[in-house]
Amino acid sequence: MGVDFSVFMEGLMTALEPINLLWVAIGGFLGTVVGMLPGLGPATAVALLIPVTFGMEPTSALVLMAAIYYGAMYGGSRSSILLNTPGDGSAIAATFDGYPMTQKGQAGQALAISAIASLIGGLVAMVGFIVLAKPLASFALKFGPAEYFLLMVFTLSAIVALSKGAMVKGFIAMTIGLLVSTMGIDLQTGVHRFTFDMPALSEGVDFLIVIIGIYAVGEVLYNYITIDKPVNKAHKGMGKIWITKEQWKRTKWPMIRNAPLGFVVGVLPGAGGAIASMLSYTTEKQISKNPDEFGKGEIVGVAAPESSNNAAAVGAFIPMLTMGIPGSGTTAVILGALIMLGLRPGPLLFENNPEMVWTFVNSMFIGNIFLVILNILMVGLLVKILKTPPKVLYPLILVLAFIGTYTLSYNVIDFYILVIFGLLGLVMKLLKFPIAPLILAAIVGSDMEQNFRKSIVGNDGISEVLFASPITITLLILTVLSLMYPFIVSWLKNRKVQEAE
Amino acid sequence: MYRLVTPLFFLAVGIGFLVATLNLPKARLGDPNAPLYFPAMITILLILLSVIYFFQEFKHRKEEFKELKILLSGRMPFLIISTIVMSFIYTFLFERIGFLFSTMVFLGGLLFIINGTKKWLVNILVAVLFSGIAWYSFGILLKVSLP
Repeated sequence: MGVDFSVFMEGLMTALEPINLLWVAIGGFLGTVVGMLPGLGPATAVALLIPVTFGMEPTSALVLMAAIYYGAMYGGSRSSILLNTPGDGSAIAATFDGYPMTQKGQAGQALAISAIASLIGGLVAMVGFIVLAKPLASFALKFGPAEYFLLMVFTLSAIVALSKGAMVKGFIAMTIGLLVSTMGIDLQTGVHRFTFDMPALSEGVDFLIVIIGIYAVGEVLYNYITIDKPVNKAHKGMGKIWITKEQWKRTKWPMIRNAPLGFVVGVLPGAGGAIASMLSYTTEKQISKNPDEFGKGEIVGVAAPESSNNAAAVGAFIPMLTMGIPGSGTTAVILGALIMLGLRPGPLLFENNPEMVWTFVNSMFIGNIFLVILNILMVGLLVKILKTPPKVLYPLILVLAFIGTYTLSYNVIDFYILVIFGLLGLVMKLLKFPIAPLILAAIVGSDMEQNFRKSIVGNDGISEVLFASPITITLLILTVLSLMYPFIVSWLKNRKVQEAE
Repeated sequence: MYRLVTPLFFLAVGIGFLVATLNLPKARLGDPNAPLYFPAMITILLILLSVIYFFQEFKHRKEEFKELKILLSGRMPFLIISTIVMSFIYTFLFERIGFLFSTMVFLGGLLFIINGTKKWLVNILVAVLFSGIAWYSFGILLKVSLP
């Protein structure tokens, strides 16, 4: 499978450099804190902290952003377990049994098992990453413009198809993202497109501003809905922050077997932590000897999804790093920041910067261990942060969003664009439009168009592009299947209901 | 009937962008229409989707539009509008009175609006301290050139 041991060791050494250790610690901590805030998830955490990465070495920036990402995953489960308010989709499953455990006075055990499960999920997934990433990158080297174009079409349609019964809304979100990506001067011909004679728009709309606007400003505006509601109080009795031997015995297999499941789901475009954790939860419930205990504080119900969603987070890096095409909102945000730093993830990354990839893998390993220690030893401090009133936090997030925007272009005109996308984010959240398709489309849109145009030049007409090679045909079939997926699922459900009758 | 506003809005965006696409200047190099193929595809897709969305919503036109109710309930309208107004004030002041003071005004203003006037001491302390810390960490540590 071609992992060069010396490059691996080199990566480990770079990851162990004090500066990178520091970034892992800072990223992990900040990610945990933002992830813990009710309503804010990993994508918001990374989006808010993007300006911090400017001027950094791309390797350190990647290490930092990944740490923020999995830090936010750990943090998200804290608020799920203690307050019953998940930060984002992938932390929802942790509320099912995590919060009942808190109510029973077992918050400490729930927090401990969530941290341990996340660690195991992360570690198993890293093995998967090492095995899968390099071959996938070599495979992706065979991709030409037509293949890339169709891969992007497939990724976008898969993300939309998996956005739970809101296909039309998902595709509308996607087209808006694609339209945003076409604004500005066309790189090949110099034609100004959709700039409405405003000089500020001639370079187009920076997709990082779209990201910060929707994920940070939009989320804050959306959270105004609940701002005057009394906050759920964390229960006082935490209990010991560790698990018993008996609990370990019951949870170790669920944690180990759900990690590969989460990993695979994470690699697939569009799926990710939310689906992985739900899938693990329902699977464990189905195979459990006492399924009735689920939902009432069953520790396996915390362990399984927590292992799975962290594994999915690691898996999600694979398409982003090997092909340059992210399969989730958060990895899309990280890709956006990396492009900003002049780094183009894709198959060549593994050829040209292997040490960077292995630094990243090793730093994830270190970061996961660091986060378990942080989450177990410093739980008191974290709970105190959780008590900071949102009424003070949301203004701070808004200020950070504006600072982040300013550092992108040093132009206050962008503040207006930020507010516009903040409002768009609010409306989309309110009307239940999936957000990931828009973000992803805004980031890959320009590449998608370039590949489309290049492949048209190389082939005669669009049908030639679609059937250019076995790879494009496979991707085309996958796209069609992903579009049919919601219909297949509902058909299967109907059949089940009929059979039951 | 209010729920039909969103699909109509997207339809308008789609048509507007399609018209803009068709009026794009021709490219001087290569295929003169090259810059417009991709946007044309997207806008046509958006128009089709908006029409489908319109009919989806049309079926539910007599149901209550809960989302709008949420948007207009309690302090929501006030908070959203004041956040937008504060953002404009911030944009106006940012390069005129500098990062540090404009941020204090913006953050302080938001805190008074969101957190209320009763907690004025907390608001002022947070606004001053956080602006200072942000100025130090971005301006000095990360060497971002702030006005």
